[in-house]
Amino acid sequence: MTRQELIDQRMAGEAREAQLRLHTRRHFIRESAMGLGALAIGYMIGGCGNNSLPATTAVAFDPAHPLLPKSPPFAGKARSVIYLHMAGAPSQLELFDYKPELMKMDGQDCPPSLMEGKQFAFIRGVPKMLGPQAKFSRHGQSGSWVSENLPHFSTVVDEVSFLKAVTTDQFNHAPAQLLMHTGSPRLGRPSIGSWVTYGLGTDNQNLPGFVVLTSGGSFPDAGKSVWGSGFLPSVYQGVQCRSEGDPVLFINDPDGMSRNVRRASVDAINAANMQEYKEYNDPEILSRISQYEMAFRMQITAPEVMNINDEPSYIHEMYGTKPGEACFANNVLLARKLVEKGVRFVQLFDWGWDAHGDNASNSLNIGMINKYRSIDKPVTALLLDLKQRGLLEETLVVWGGEFGRTPMMENRNGAQNPFKGRDHHTDAFTIWMAGGGIKKGITYGETDEIGYYAIKGKVEAYDIQATILNQLGFNHETFTYPFQGRPFRLTDVAGKVINEIIA
Amino acid sequence: MIVGMIVLITCAVAFLRPSPVDFSSQVKPILNKKCITCHGGVRAKAGFSVLFREEALAATESGKPAIIPGDPGSSEMIRRITSNDEEERMPYKHEPLSHEEIKTLKRWIREGAKWGDHWAYLPVKQTAVPGIEDPWVKNDIDKYILQKLNGEKITPSSEAPKATLLRRVSLDLIGIYPSDSICRNYLQNNSGQSYEILVDSLLASPQFGERWTSMWLDLARYADTKGYESDGGRSIWQYRDWVIKAFNEDMPYDRFLTAQIAGDLLPGASGEDFIATAFHRNTMTNDEGGTDNEEFRVAAVTDRVNTTWEAIMGTTFSCVQCHSHPYDPFKHDEYYKFLAYFNNTRDEDIDEEFPVMRQFTDTMQRQLNDLSDWVSRHSSKERSQQIEWLIRTHQPAINSTTADSLVNAVIILNNHGLLLRNHSIARIRNMDLSGNDQFIWQFYSQRKGGKLTFRKDSIHGPVIAVYTIKPSANWQYGYTGFSTQQGVHDIYLSYENSLMPKGKYEDGMSFGWIAASVKLPGKGTKEYSKYHDVYRQLLEAPVPGTPIMLENPANLARKTQVFERGNFRTPGKEVTPAVPAALQYAMPENAPANRAGLAQWITSDKNPLVARTIVNRLWEQLFGTGIVETLEDMGTQGIAPTHQQLLDYLSYRLVHEYRWSLKSLLKEMVMSATYRQDSRLTDEIKEKDFFNRFYARGARVRLTAEQVRDQALQASGKLSVKMFGKPVMPWQPDGIWLSPYNDARWEKSTGEDQYRRAIYTYWKRSSPYPSMISFDGAQRNVCSARRIRTNTPLQALVTLNDSAYLDLSRQFAFRMKKVAGQDPAKQIATGYTLLLYRNMPAAKLELFLELYDKALKDFRNDKDRTCEMTGLLDENNNPQTAALVVVANAMLNLDEVIMKN
Repeated sequence: MTRQELIDQRMAGEAREAQLRLHTRRHFIRESAMGLGALAIGYMIGGCGNNSLPATTAVAFDPAHPLLPKSPPFAGKARSVIYLHMAGAPSQLELFDYKPELMKMDGQDCPPSLMEGKQFAFIRGVPKMLGPQAKFSRHGQSGSWVSENLPHFSTVVDEVSFLKAVTTDQFNHAPAQLLMHTGSPRLGRPSIGSWVTYGLGTDNQNLPGFVVLTSGGSFPDAGKSVWGSGFLPSVYQGVQCRSEGDPVLFINDPDGMSRNVRRASVDAINAANMQEYKEYNDPEILSRISQYEMAFRMQITAPEVMNINDEPSYIHEMYGTKPGEACFANNVLLARKLVEKGVRFVQLFDWGWDAHGDNASNSLNIGMINKYRSIDKPVTALLLDLKQRGLLEETLVVWGGEFGRTPMMENRNGAQNPFKGRDHHTDAFTIWMAGGGIKKGITYGETDEIGYYAIKGKVEAYDIQATILNQLGFNHETFTYPFQGRPFRLTDVAGKVINEIIA
Repeated sequence: MIVGMIVLITCAVAFLRPSPVDFSSQVKPILNKKCITCHGGVRAKAGFSVLFREEALAATESGKPAIIPGDPGSSEMIRRITSNDEEERMPYKHEPLSHEEIKTLKRWIREGAKWGDHWAYLPVKQTAVPGIEDPWVKNDIDKYILQKLNGEKITPSSEAPKATLLRRVSLDLIGIYPSDSICRNYLQNNSGQSYEILVDSLLASPQFGERWTSMWLDLARYADTKGYESDGGRSIWQYRDWVIKAFNEDMPYDRFLTAQIAGDLLPGASGEDFIATAFHRNTMTNDEGGTDNEEFRVAAVTDRVNTTWEAIMGTTFSCVQCHSHPYDPFKHDEYYKFLAYFNNTRDEDIDEEFPVMRQFTDTMQRQLNDLSDWVSRHSSKERSQQIEWLIRTHQPAINSTTADSLVNAVIILNNHGLLLRNHSIARIRNMDLSGNDQFIWQFYSQRKGGKLTFRKDSIHGPVIAVYTIKPSANWQYGYTGFSTQQGVHDIYLSYENSLMPKGKYEDGMSFGWIAASVKLPGKGTKEYSKYHDVYRQLLEAPVPGTPIMLENPANLARKTQVFERGNFRTPGKEVTPAVPAALQYAMPENAPANRAGLAQWITSDKNPLVARTIVNRLWEQLFGTGIVETLEDMGTQGIAPTHQQLLDYLSYRLVHEYRWSLKSLLKEMVMSATYRQDSRLTDEIKEKDFFNRFYARGARVRLTAEQVRDQALQASGKLSVKMFGKPVMPWQPDGIWLSPYNDARWEKSTGEDQYRRAIYTYWKRSSPYPSMISFDGAQRNVCSARRIRTNTPLQALVTLNDSAYLDLSRQFAFRMKKVAGQDPAKQIATGYTLLLYRNMPAAKLELFLELYDKALKDFRNDKDRTCEMTGLLDENNNPQTAALVVVANAMLNLDEVIMKN
């Protein structure tokens, strides 16, 4: 489907929804006016055009059409987000944060000052310092530092804003991933993709608004909670798409059922449910009707978009795909296709970045080299491909992990690890963003000379979240949801938009 | 008369002067909502916290207190909430407080800023039932409900139609319909008693236990696997069966909890009591190589603490693990005092999940009883119990994963037993040898010439036994006798093998566990060799075991320390078992400081949380929402109860009048007029009580994941009523299980096991049965106090397309044909009645006939499709049946079928 067709289809869909709405207008007006209890109010259907921002921007939530596209409170530059999360936390010191001084300390005992009052996941006693395990050089007009581990990516650095001084306060994977994606290290809060689809709906009613793709052989440590909807209605949770079997579970009609018969059966179900609605007067029934409509449409669209075989060979070459595998390259290509089709938020998790060095596959010089190779081409291709399609300006791409790695070599339980590795590090790591109204070729933030502490332009998970929401047209402080007697927001009580990287 | 006078006078005074502000109901909600996020517990901005009174009145960072009791005018707090300066005014950058709220706070300070306890932490008191008379009222519950409705000027609904009520109360009490005859009796009997007769038969039904166990298993985080990344299998279904039986027998709830918390410590504990303790063995076990067993043992123990609070006491206690509770009166070290109750159990996060209750067949159990009698006759009762216990549990086994002082020996991947090489030494610490004269141990070795020496107290200590290893391709049991010993000793094992080739890393033997015990007595008697054979057969029988809780004996006791910031690697001061000071008042005098004592505290009639939590939970199951909506949190951050008096009334009644009988409590709830109301939304209700918080109508909620499946099974006529036993594996799509670290496979069940109730479906934590999760089933990694109901297109895809549902649609269609004959209209109308016990409205019948005709046309043109839709090349392989399958599939997707009306 071309973009024009997509827009046409959206128009048609909206017209249809409008008709259904007209049909039950009485119900609707009442629901909206009473705010569906705790949920709705704020800017209403069609928008109120008010210029002054209210203290709390609640979102019109319509349980019968929960994913209809909505406009944000102010014009955002980005329409959609692709978030590439390297689960396990990649080493900034082997990719972006060049520290020649650290090289000079390689092999020396770690100075006690660095250890005082610190707690690490595995380091015990006195570890040795570990110099950068890669050569670095400057690239592009911007002169951004990138190591030899990402030769392709170094050609597109002029599209990117690097955040070199990201920090967190969680030193274990699951809580740190949860903090990064839900704003809380504990279970139970909605993920950023859920917030975004709750606030904006999605452009294509025939696909889920929030899609999750995983690679690397395992889910992220925090499991499915990192794309959960927490206390938001669960229609906003990430839908995991699979590369084997049905792309979305149970998406295919049973054997023997033609599309015509399925259409007729959904029509019968919905018509009978409409009769029931007239009797029971419960809007939940209208919601079920719209869910069945959406399920029907999703059955056509999802398998189409999840099939990458139709892409031309130069695209496959560009991304380095491996047909038939659940690999990162395939997922990145899928992410591009999904965003192109109007999916609001695409979340990728690639597992296997936990470079401790207690075995070969997670060592900096063996296992990680393979990981770097597995992302270098696809990530580069994504930026170039989005750009050539004119989509980069409206698609925000975020790349990062849940924390960084120590400048010290890990000594698990006080003993030397067999391979070179680094422990979890909360005080400095790198995340980059591109597209979606982010400045090009910028480096913001700085760490000390060994990459241990963030010293300038320090940002945290909440600031990243605030910035993503800002690019989509939301003020993170007023974008709230009432739960347990108080308004909750993604950024809790923190967060500051990183204006320095906004174009 | 005098009493009356006093009451009158008090009333008069009360009229003249407004009663003082009530902290809990008037002030605390304001503080919680507007202040405590920044000024409470861990977050005390500007040094001001409103969590405890002593904190609220203490000097802040400015050096002055922010609240001055009796003097609102000088209280900084009042100045700041009323300030006009945006930078000063609190809550900072948020909506200012309302005039009412400010007035309340001022008055509260003027009256002395008195503190009060949160309602849920105060004992349940008997409440006076509202004196309301109304023909609508059927029992006391209705009086509480009607009082509020009157206050809100909302009219309650009349009773729901009989068919609606039949389906509602059946789903609620047993999860499915009862037998057809019970249903018809109810529908046809128009006497006043018909409903009560129905309710009584549902309460007596064996399916009752299955339905309520579904609820309990979310709380118990029951699963058939161990969790974490490798997520291997676990055989713990006997616990599930115990819960089903307990609900069916209406085991008093206090007894039900006691058995699960401390069944092993009860005097004269039965086998069932031990199985009940598996409640807290549903914690996850980490099999992954290289993990620190102690780390994950601690994780399991903290989970037991958190689950005990969340499931049984509706309190989120887990935040106290890292710091004092930000909102509720629980201090950091109190978490660890509570944890100390659970910290001394025998389990150690090892693969085999010891200790276990070995699963014996009836024959084995009979043999064991016989052996036990024989031992008593030839020795003592005590000795026979010791041997019986050894055979059923292998206790007092010590896991060799805890061996230390290793020389030329290793613990395989921290987890998988002890590996002894040639000339190796390993120490087993603290074995109690008192009165014992035999080691029993498990080993594996394929090498000739091996010899294992057991020394006492040191590497060079006295040799108490030597064992010559016979090689075998299987694990073996070693029995090593020695002269009777006394006291607790370290045992040093050394392995020597003169035939072994040189080379340091040649493996000699693997060592599993070791237990010190007594030899079988009666040697020399005629029957000795027969009983010795039985003894060994039973001891060595390769049967699975149900993980249970057992307290460590004194020689293995652990101490408990506070973990700074919740991290087990930074232990602080030592603590002993205790409940939080704020709730200490419910602890019976002389209760022991162990889990048995804890169980006494939990089930004490003074415990303010336990009865309220279960009442609230049962209410939520029937009415869709709890009286306290946040089932997981009745604390200050939970949502306030809509009908606190009613909650207390029912809680008091449960404990004092029903003696903890849950069936009695459920009966009172379902007999109420409140429960029996029609669920249609009138315009009035829609406007005044859209969310049904005042209960002016019946609950209208979606079926649970289990009910959706069970209903389709029942409609299809295939539902198996087989109860209990190993979990089953009905159809699921390929590729759902991703088990990188073990070769577990989904092996589809056959015969009636494909059609068992959902509660028997195998539950793999990392990959639960997909349709269960689509319909909001819990993951069951940790306790899940509440399922949030959703409505998504993915649910529609399950009931439309999942092959399991298509199979049931087929069976449903075949059943319609069988019951109704050849006329499609009759078939469809029959199907509708089978599902809903009422006649199909003509307009709906018309819709489905139309669907039938369209489908029929399609199938008439396509033989292959017909065959695919009907499934088999049998008498059903015709276009008519295929069309009926399409209709059956659609009917299982109707809103009124997916919902409880």
